[in-house]
Amino acid sequence: MNAAPRLGGRVSWALLVALGMSLTAFTWPLFLSPTSAMSPAQAPLVFALVLPLVLAIVLAEMAGGRMEVKQLAMLGVLAAVGTILRPLSAGTAGFELVFFLMILAGRVFGPAFGFALGAITMFTSGLLTSGVGPWLPYQMLAAGFVGLFAGWLPRASGRTEIVLLAGYGVISAFAYGWLMDFSFWPFALSGDTQLSFDPAIGALANLHRFVLFNLATSMGWNAGRALTNAVVILVLGTPLLRLFRRTARRAVFSPAESSLDGILPATPRLG
Amino acid sequence: MAAEGTVPLNSLHPWAWWCWAIGLGFAASGTTNPLLLTLIALAAISVVMLRRTKAPWARSVGMYLALAGFVLVSRLFFQVLIGSGSGPTVLFTLPELPLPDWAAGIRLGGPVSAEALMATVYDALRLAVMLLCVGAANALANPRQALRSVPAALYEASVAVVIALSVAPQLIESVQRVRKARRLRGDTARGVNALGAIALPVLSDAIDRSLSLAAGMDARGFARTNGLPVRGALPVMLGSVMVATCGVFLLLSTSATVAALAIMGLGIAGTTAGLRLAGRRLRVTRYRRHPWGWHESGVAASGVLAGLIVGVVGGLDPVAMMTPTYPLTWPELSPAMLVTIALAILPLAFTARPRPIPLDSSRHDAPQRTVRPRDAELVRP
Amino acid sequence: MIDFDEVTLTYPQAMRPTLDRVSLHVGEGDLCLVVGATGSGKSTVLGAINGLVPHFTGGRLQGSVRVDGRSTAEHRPRNLADVVGYVGQDPLRGFVTDTVEDEIAYGMEQLGIDPVAMRKRVEETLDLMGIADLRRRPLTELSGGQQQRVAIAAVLAAQPKVLVLDEPTSSLDPTAAQDVLAAITTLVHDVGLTVVLAEHRLERVMQAADSVIWVPGDGSVSVGPAASVLAGSTIVPPLSALARVMGWADVPLSVREARRRVQSEGRRPVPPAEPVPAAGEVVLSARRLSVRYGDVHAVRSVDLDLRAGTVATLMGRNGAGKSSLLWALQGALSCEGDLLVAGRDPRGLTATHARRVVTLVPQTAADLLYLPTVAAECAQADLESGAEPGTAATLLAELGSYLPGERDPRDLSEGQRLALVLAIQLTASPPVVLLDEPTRGLDYQTKADLQRIVTRIAATGAAVLISTHDVEFAAGVSDRTILMADGEIVAQGTTRSLLTSSVAYAPQMAKVFAPLPFLTAADVSAGLS
Repeated sequence: MNAAPRLGGRVSWALLVALGMSLTAFTWPLFLSPTSAMSPAQAPLVFALVLPLVLAIVLAEMAGGRMEVKQLAMLGVLAAVGTILRPLSAGTAGFELVFFLMILAGRVFGPAFGFALGAITMFTSGLLTSGVGPWLPYQMLAAGFVGLFAGWLPRASGRTEIVLLAGYGVISAFAYGWLMDFSFWPFALSGDTQLSFDPAIGALANLHRFVLFNLATSMGWNAGRALTNAVVILVLGTPLLRLFRRTARRAVFSPAESSLDGILPATPRLG
Repeated sequence: MAAEGTVPLNSLHPWAWWCWAIGLGFAASGTTNPLLLTLIALAAISVVMLRRTKAPWARSVGMYLALAGFVLVSRLFFQVLIGSGSGPTVLFTLPELPLPDWAAGIRLGGPVSAEALMATVYDALRLAVMLLCVGAANALANPRQALRSVPAALYEASVAVVIALSVAPQLIESVQRVRKARRLRGDTARGVNALGAIALPVLSDAIDRSLSLAAGMDARGFARTNGLPVRGALPVMLGSVMVATCGVFLLLSTSATVAALAIMGLGIAGTTAGLRLAGRRLRVTRYRRHPWGWHESGVAASGVLAGLIVGVVGGLDPVAMMTPTYPLTWPELSPAMLVTIALAILPLAFTARPRPIPLDSSRHDAPQRTVRPRDAELVRP
Repeated sequence: MIDFDEVTLTYPQAMRPTLDRVSLHVGEGDLCLVVGATGSGKSTVLGAINGLVPHFTGGRLQGSVRVDGRSTAEHRPRNLADVVGYVGQDPLRGFVTDTVEDEIAYGMEQLGIDPVAMRKRVEETLDLMGIADLRRRPLTELSGGQQQRVAIAAVLAAQPKVLVLDEPTSSLDPTAAQDVLAAITTLVHDVGLTVVLAEHRLERVMQAADSVIWVPGDGSVSVGPAASVLAGSTIVPPLSALARVMGWADVPLSVREARRRVQSEGRRPVPPAEPVPAAGEVVLSARRLSVRYGDVHAVRSVDLDLRAGTVATLMGRNGAGKSSLLWALQGALSCEGDLLVAGRDPRGLTATHARRVVTLVPQTAADLLYLPTVAAECAQADLESGAEPGTAATLLAELGSYLPGERDPRDLSEGQRLALVLAIQLTASPPVVLLDEPTRGLDYQTKADLQRIVTRIAATGAAVLISTHDVEFAAGVSDRTILMADGEIVAQGTTRSLLTSSVAYAPQMAKVFAPLPFLTAADVSAGLS
């Protein structure tokens, strides 16, 4: 019974393209050629020029003219919640409190809302903590996908739903961590150490190096993030889902209920 | 938070600072010359110190300095621990510890050479200076004014960000209030349950807030001038952005730099045009839009030019901007580098020192509001 | 200007219509008051004017609502933004931007007004509302009254013909409320705006109203001149109560009018006797209590005694230190000085034990609620207080509000929520009960209920201290009144002697009968018989 609202055609197209572009962007160390004019330190910067455009298209398509004012206000307020949760938890070994909100909101309000919430939370947080930089578009996309896929999870209810979401919380935490780490790995460690990215040795060897490097340095962070997601969703999931669903009902997000004896044409559904 | 809204409009357009910083960052990314890198960093820092306001974001440069330092130290640490770089000048040798096969035959420790260390320092310095450039932009550009000049197509998304920025401080107050109230109920919840006891009232308050905000926005005409999506804008945008990505892909995976750059530029131009087209459905006007004058052009141009010089000189002669580490040589400054540094510091000529703005609150209980009982002041049993 | 024609409105899942075949007319340039208890449908009437009901809230509307010739059936709220300006209860919750100037321009940006014209209108509006000196201030730093004036300015900038205000003063202190209401009456008299205003504290505005819409809550409304509609309504501001006691057919709309009528009739009620000072033992005693935030002295060396079985009210401006004093007395705020409650110092007790000695209901009572149902909250309260299971639920029933256990506390009305929090806090049966601004946003009926509840708590032997801005409530409920200013207690004494001799804090009955010490209509009634 409990499944999120679905997406419309145009937004799906935009998302599909965004998904493809982002995959390329996040996995650039796999195809950087040693003959390229770009050094490993420059490659993510070049993507940082293009990714904001991808984000702009998706967000313009999702929010522009389609989102009801109630959803927009909710988006802003929930992004504010995420924004104050993030510095509260950052730095303490992956105890990140920001993702559970995107997952639960994506589940209740749908994939488009989830994506927008993820991206906008990261953006606002970047603005408030002066964390705007080439990493920001990567963070926005990755967090957006965390919210997006939460909206695409299969139907479930009750305890099953919570376990499903908690499991997704674990998986998405690792996926987020790996994608971010991979795209900035050559930044974190370049030069000629045995775990550095080296365009000359080929994709597989690089992947092997990355896995080792990541296990050694970031495993704790990723596992901490996954654990936080799972615990918070298991404990707070039920009351928060209830709160969101109650709001979704009370806010009459589906305009079918507000009609003036059929005088008004039904407003188009979100996204 | 308090000072943000009080910044007058006579400050420089935020995008101008960003153009300058991105240009400098690009210049830094194209060189490993430690002298040039250090001078670029000094130029950026002095512009920040002389031109920043008292706004909260202006303090971010310290944070970025710390981050840059961390990058340097961690790079050196890894180089010493698992570095494979060998060189004739061995400084010291650490005991070796080979790891099992699945770890790709990596060994910890071993000889540490001056050449490998210097290469790491140069590379880390480059990254640190790029970080500093980003920090400089964060410290100088007013984020709210940057939001005012996003493309029209992104208007709704920017409204969500504006809401988030305005609501966040109010939510912090709400969290403090609820935490205080916990004691009144006996404070029996512990650990994650206590999180719920705080999160639920705060979130439901936040959601109520969003509903009344939405009602207010609706009643004040929000989205009234939104037309239907412009036909054709989406295909143009999606097509162009795919072209741009192809350009980047080619740039990274082949050596056809010029062609790749051209394709990428075409894609970016197409997407921008598409966004403009998509923004036509909106007829929202902007109050006191930030003007772009010759000051702005000057600041932006100095950064972009600096980046271009390094890019072009480096493109013509790949070693011109690099300092070799094998054999170790003393870095030298070429005339092109001197021009780059002059450009980096040029914004000082286009801008004036910001005037301090008197700040006072008209709430007679303002002192209490801002220093409302916080956690530290609560008596802990 | 505003016409309701046979309007019937039913919310989704509602058993019966909130408005049932309502027809009314508000003329151009009128100041029209909407009165009624919380939940009676007052906000529905207001929201229907600009189409927020049903477009925003959902529900089914039959009949037609026309504003300046435009029907809300064909125009969504945003398309009426240039005709109707709508201002909600808490201004801070409706602000989109964060500075005064941006907020005023926001509505015009939405309407697509030319930037040059926009600039001029912003300046004009700033002057009209007298807030030009605040133009670059962050909105969160303004006082409540200033915020509300900015909210009004923000809708006025779109130059609407009708201004709709839903209880604009409910979260303000008396001075700020006066300030806002004065601004509104100026708009009616000098600018010629049509204003529809819902307001709880009628005594402040009824003299300026051209007409009153009374929403009794059964789906009907009655409309007419203030004096006659109020005489027949269940909404009883003090002067209405006086009219009933004196047997007048219509209600005097101002103190001056009431005073003249009393004098011309020559009926002199016997002034009540000075009450015997309460003899209960001292359960709370504070000596040289001080609270400091950094450099700011919120409370300066306060000496205070509370006796068992009495009710005291704490009055004073916003920022006078009332809240800080209450939090300090509960022991939840660090303070200097001596504090003894029932023989113990609450600062040294654990939270669980402290609330069994002295309990506090904070200003935003909802902060204490976090469980999904009323029953769960009650059960948790029993657990926290170590009381018999069912104590809190019984208390809640005794407080006179019956709440089904499965209700979500967040769906309750302001008054019901207050009752629930009171029940939770009283479960620990503490000898001292502190209430911080409990009357905020309550209608007359709920305030009367609260008065009954407080009297009952005192009757069980507890000492009650209430901070309030509501003079009439203080007059009705308390034995003693304490006046604070600038962190110090400037006066304390029996409520009767203190309030009747005060200029700023005199209740309306005291003003009508001055210099005789009448506090409430009940006093007058007793004095007549």
